Amino acid sequence: MPRKTHYYRFYFEVARASFRRQLVYRWTNLTGLIVNIFFGAIFSYVMIALFQARHDTAGYDLRDTLRYIWLVQALIMVVVPFGWTDLMLTIRSGDVVSDLSKPCDFYWYWFSREVGSALYYFLFRTVPIYLGGMLLFGIGLPGGWVSWLGSGFFLLIGAALGIAFRFLYNIIAFWIIEARAMVTMGQVIATFFTGSYIPIAFMPFWLRSITLWLPFNGMMNVPTEIFTGKLFGGALAFEFLRQALWLVALTLLARGIAAIAARRVVVQGG
Amino acid sequence: MITGITGIISDLSLYRRLIGMQLRTQVQYKVNLAVDIFTYFLVTMLEYMVIFLYFNTFQTLLGWHVGEVALLGAVVSFTFGLAELFGSGLDSFSEIIRRGEFDRILLRPVGALMQVASNEFRMRRLGRMTQGLLMFLFALHLLPALHWTFAKLLMLVFGIASGATIFVAVLLLGATLCFWTVETTELANILTYGGREVMSWPLSVYNRAFQSIFLFVVPLAFGLYMPVCYLLGRPQPLGLPDAAAFLSPLAAALFAAVAYVFWRFGVRRYQSAGG
Repeated sequence: MPRKTHYYRFYFEVARASFRRQLVYRWTNLTGLIVNIFFGAIFSYVMIALFQARHDTAGYDLRDTLRYIWLVQALIMVVVPFGWTDLMLTIRSGDVVSDLSKPCDFYWYWFSREVGSALYYFLFRTVPIYLGGMLLFGIGLPGGWVSWLGSGFFLLIGAALGIAFRFLYNIIAFWIIEARAMVTMGQVIATFFTGSYIPIAFMPFWLRSITLWLPFNGMMNVPTEIFTGKLFGGALAFEFLRQALWLVALTLLARGIAAIAARRVVVQGG
Repeated sequence: MITGITGIISDLSLYRRLIGMQLRTQVQYKVNLAVDIFTYFLVTMLEYMVIFLYFNTFQTLLGWHVGEVALLGAVVSFTFGLAELFGSGLDSFSEIIRRGEFDRILLRPVGALMQVASNEFRMRRLGRMTQGLLMFLFALHLLPALHWTFAKLLMLVFGIASGATIFVAVLLLGATLCFWTVETTELANILTYGGREVMSWPLSVYNRAFQSIFLFVVPLAFGLYMPVCYLLGRPQPLGLPDAAAFLSPLAAALFAAVAYVFWRFGVRRYQSAGG
């Protein structure tokens, strides 16, 4: 069917436009990069100080930990970008109506947009931030191309999970007028359970057991642990199953809620 | 001189009135406000729990024990919440510039800074202050041997007041930057959110250059960290004498003055985008 290919073309163009939009904000992105590197440096200093008391913990030595911290810092904007209220703002301003009436699926439209900017952030944040860590703290590159490939593959799942999650905590704005508090809440929960504050391996047993089952685990911790060589072999198949299920569940949930919200807009007689 | 002082007094009473108006509006939506404050309380609590997670794995941080780091973190959190409460107008200044509203502000016969500062007053910041207060009490519980004196109590007040002043001054610097460009507003985040993170850990964690910057250039450590060291009875950073902590209000006042001069310069230089 020619119509279908036409659709793919449309989503591709949406992603491309979003990628190019990011390129325009050169200074904003440069300052964002500096902020990320600054936080990476602070966390590194704290970790170096903590490791003065002992040499390794939970199978991590200082170098593993620093690599973990820097890669997580490098992936934040790809997976759980701070202050993402783009969808919420269109709901508040009413612009969402024009997006809803576009001849495409509302969720996949936003998904494509976010894929475009995720690609931008991967090239212009992830890579330079990790290089910054290598330069400032001499963390080097772990493993070989096999673990990088595996990490890259799981990062695709992680990024898709992140998009579904941010879509969910933004779409609440259809029901709550002042959704800013929910956005903050969604972000801090994600920050905590993705391992951005403390590597998941360092959490006490009970908390780690819960966290490993959450979708946040697949967002950054899994790709990062593969990259640092802590996760490999048969465990990967299990992680794939667990996170793929989450991805399907969250995507269906996001699309379902979007459908309900769309009907609501129609009922209100926009 | 006299007109200057009466000007300040009338500005202050207007500030009080404008803030009072905002308070009354926000209190109208009681449920909304309660949810907002509670969310911020939970969020800041989650951030703070990281200290205990670290200390679950590691026993000390360069000789600091969990109670001491917890107390430091609580004071920093409370102080930051206080600064956010009074500084939210400055924090969202880039919006005022972007919408071209600053022209209207300049036309009014009242101080521009006062209008900008009273533009927003977010009561949800009380959530962070509540968290800081509760965690301060909890930290005291973890530090049964801490001996209080009048000097230490005074120092606590000094630390919170100076720290909040410096954080607000940083927000003012960030706002001033908007006169040149609104694209780099995130730079101020290095010193606000970043500064909060830096202050939450013992300063000896960082390298010397870093320590000197936060002591003498953006004196958050001078204003906030040194008083906390004094009341915990820990040595001051870079071998400074213990009594130096009494100078923290001076450091804060100096930094705030520099920020204000910079702001005045920015206002004079400001040219509306709207031509």
